[in-house]
Amino acid sequence: MMRIRERSKKLPAVAIIAVALLGSVSACNRASGGDGDGLPRAETLYVAGRQWGEPTTFNPLMSSVQWPVNNINLMYETLLLYNALTGKMEPLLAESFAQLNDDIEVSLNPAARWSDGKPVTGWDVKFSFDLGDKNKSLPVSPVWQYIDAVRLLDESGKEVADTPRDTPDYPRRVAFILKPDRRNPLVVLDWLQDARIIPRHIFEPEIQKHGLDATTSLKFDKDPVISGPYQLKQYSSEKIVTERRPDYWGNNALHAGKLPVPRYVVHPIYKSNDHFSIALRQGRLDMSSTFVPRIWRKAEKGVHAWLEDPPYFVGTGMPMLFINVKHGPLADVAYRRAMAFSINYVDIRELAGSNYSEPLQPGLIMPSGLEAQFYSAADAKQYGVGYDPARAKQTLAEAGYKSLFNEKGDLVETRDKAGQRVQTVYIKSPTGWSDWESIVKIAVRGMREAGIDAREKFIDGNLFWTDLAKGEFDLIMNTPASAPSPSKPWSRFDAVMTTQDFAPEGEKVYKNMGRFNDPKAPGYIARIDQLLATIPTLKEPERSAAYRELNVIFMQQQPTIPLMYRPDQFYEFSTRHWTNYSTATHPYLPPQIPGERCGTGMLWALVPVAQKQ
Amino acid sequence: MLKNHPVLKHILGRAAWYLVTFLVAVTINFFLPRLGKANPVDTIMAKVSAGLDTKSANAVEEQYLKEFGLVQVDAQGKVVRGKSGKALKTSLGSQFVNYLGMSLRGDLGGSILQHPKRVSEIIKTAIPWTLALQLPTIVFGWLIGNVLGALAAYKRGIFDKLFYPGALLMSAIPAFCFGILLVYWFAIKREWFPAVGGYDEGLTPALNAAFLSSAAYYYVLPFLSVFLLVVGGQAIGMRSMCIYELGTDYVKYAKLLGVKENKILYYMFRNAMLPQLTGLAVSLGTMVGGALIAEIVFSYPGLGMAILTAIQSNDYPVITGCCLLVTTTVLIANFTADLLIGLFDPRIRAVQGGKP
Repeated sequence: MMRIRERSKKLPAVAIIAVALLGSVSACNRASGGDGDGLPRAETLYVAGRQWGEPTTFNPLMSSVQWPVNNINLMYETLLLYNALTGKMEPLLAESFAQLNDDIEVSLNPAARWSDGKPVTGWDVKFSFDLGDKNKSLPVSPVWQYIDAVRLLDESGKEVADTPRDTPDYPRRVAFILKPDRRNPLVVLDWLQDARIIPRHIFEPEIQKHGLDATTSLKFDKDPVISGPYQLKQYSSEKIVTERRPDYWGNNALHAGKLPVPRYVVHPIYKSNDHFSIALRQGRLDMSSTFVPRIWRKAEKGVHAWLEDPPYFVGTGMPMLFINVKHGPLADVAYRRAMAFSINYVDIRELAGSNYSEPLQPGLIMPSGLEAQFYSAADAKQYGVGYDPARAKQTLAEAGYKSLFNEKGDLVETRDKAGQRVQTVYIKSPTGWSDWESIVKIAVRGMREAGIDAREKFIDGNLFWTDLAKGEFDLIMNTPASAPSPSKPWSRFDAVMTTQDFAPEGEKVYKNMGRFNDPKAPGYIARIDQLLATIPTLKEPERSAAYRELNVIFMQQQPTIPLMYRPDQFYEFSTRHWTNYSTATHPYLPPQIPGERCGTGMLWALVPVAQKQ
Repeated sequence: MLKNHPVLKHILGRAAWYLVTFLVAVTINFFLPRLGKANPVDTIMAKVSAGLDTKSANAVEEQYLKEFGLVQVDAQGKVVRGKSGKALKTSLGSQFVNYLGMSLRGDLGGSILQHPKRVSEIIKTAIPWTLALQLPTIVFGWLIGNVLGALAAYKRGIFDKLFYPGALLMSAIPAFCFGILLVYWFAIKREWFPAVGGYDEGLTPALNAAFLSSAAYYYVLPFLSVFLLVVGGQAIGMRSMCIYELGTDYVKYAKLLGVKENKILYYMFRNAMLPQLTGLAVSLGTMVGGALIAEIVFSYPGLGMAILTAIQSNDYPVITGCCLLVTTTVLIANFTADLLIGLFDPRIRAVQGGKP
């Protein structure tokens, strides 16, 4: 009897526990400062695709900070903005810039203010850059390979001491002195639109008191002092919420006194790519910078992309196969070119790339957009390599390779001139990156059909990056320097061919991972490094000629195999709650999502749908 | 001395074994993620190294390695270097000692990928969602599944004929597939329920009507996606157990003796229940691991995703911390089940206690 009664007691107890636990969900997740009524949909813009996983820190000193700090200018701002449509540097904290012979000078906007009312001064700018000179681990430090000093000037051009004071005539002119032996204004411009300017009066005392390490581990998530138009309101593992700052300095100085239209910009955090597509379709998301399959079928639901027709997006990145030219047959240019001939790039674009890019042309220069001015169709025709299985076989045969096929037509092995078996080369790609996996499979299929003994090797995502940097691969997928920036296409060539940081296999490098053009080996092509060094300072028409020469060397040497074009910064948008997005037919801003560089300007132009009716 | 207290002896004996299991599990938890070739800093570097030159990249990497205790540091806090100028790695042994020390102090360490977040913080924000999704589905799914299964076995006839194939389908359908079908039918085809998330994006978690009703609305599909499968699985198991019991000698004998049907049912249910009880204990133990599939399919908050991301990026402290939590709860649940079964099942009591 006892036991039966015990059992009957259990059920209600279980129910009570369940209810209590359900209740605790809300109790434990309570965030500070939230209002129960929620954000009004008509005043909220939902953007996505720039934050994956839980936000951790909003510290602008960290390399891996979260949206919107990492994508710049909702919270912290840069001096300039690069407009990928016009190729021009547009003003932000700096109202103008001048490129002189040995330096680049910017003038700060006198209206620029921090959120605590203090002006944004040359001292802030100098501090933000100088930190990276002293501390190599800060994100801004690489610019110091290209500059010698940051100098502050007063209105008359006299140098101002680096001692910040509260004064109305603070220095507004800042000069970046280029390194004479590595003069590269292009990269410095990259950095002027990349480096977040931080409030010196907040950071300097903190670093002096507690040291840099302690300062970098602060989160800066509670009403931080910023200069940008939106302030961090709250965040959780599900979303990041920013709220419009009515007192943002740029409303008057840059936007004719208007406020940004959405009161809140929210970045929801979903766990799978599909959810962004679903949320866009359902109008829960307004803009997304994620891969949306079959975008043309979403138009009826009000979801569109930059272009209404194929390729829908503007490609800026070039996924390619990096080749370790020190590995066996890959040292042979003929073998590399035969590989490039054997890959079906149309299949890659259509099957792996959803047809979201224009047809691939040979070389490292994009045939469209701003880069088209350096592109030569004649060179591409004469030196370039496209899909041509017959020429792949011919190239192999001319170089003395023999391929053995079995009776079913499958490749057994490849033999070199001496009759020795050529080692199998493996193409590495991270497991689970399905578009890259498809690309690699298409490439391997083409190579084997042409008689090249290649195989796919899908590896753990963590090992992938180490192997890439250490050069531990035969061929490996990689998209170098993909974001639009003032230094294109120079930075793409640099990422693929420079020998500046050349190191043997096993040591990590972050450019030219294929160890191409070893400066210590016979056959070193000094001309490549010369061209890379001079192009940034050349004027037209010399610059175009130099680009052409470099691109021809690339096509002849084939140190990597470009596979297709890919958009890097892009968006799809839903017209359910907002309209007047920038598109190819109404291109008032480049295709960047609000919160990402120029795209932020869209916040002043969007029109809520509810208001229109 | 313990001879006179068979129950106590039984409990202590089991407890000792569980302690050993726990220690082995903790050791494995620590070493397994660290045996691979890659380390978590590689993952971070992949994200932050774009555009860096080698010198700055190496400086960044070293700073992270130092931060996470993966390189040796001298008394002044400077990185110890070998002859080649490279930082010396901390040995696995000393990392383990360090880890044991921290664990004893109840410190799970800090996440590497989500630096500077503490592991305990990650667990604390995720666990209420996980429990809210898992506990009701498991407990109610178990109860309802078992009752329905027993009913089907006992009643047979048309109820069983309709119920059994349904339950079979539910128990056999993969969780992700069922979740996706639910999303397709009820969130995309007909927009009855939201497809993703735990609550409306415009809201903030708080104890108010707006949030709670939104959370309840968003709860429906993820709940169903797990609940129906649990019911199906439990019912199938219980049904076959009961059918087996119905055919045993003691039931036949009891029937022949003319024992009342309710009494027979009670005996039968008790016996059929035992394996199901162990099953319940195991699922209650593992539930803190999260309903990974439901979390992915619905972008639902929870611990499963935290563990998956940690494993994918070699975030040692998070993997180890979450595994420690799962290990502990599984062991506690099993221990409890062991004791309960001992109490419920006279056969086990007899063997353990040495008395009939």
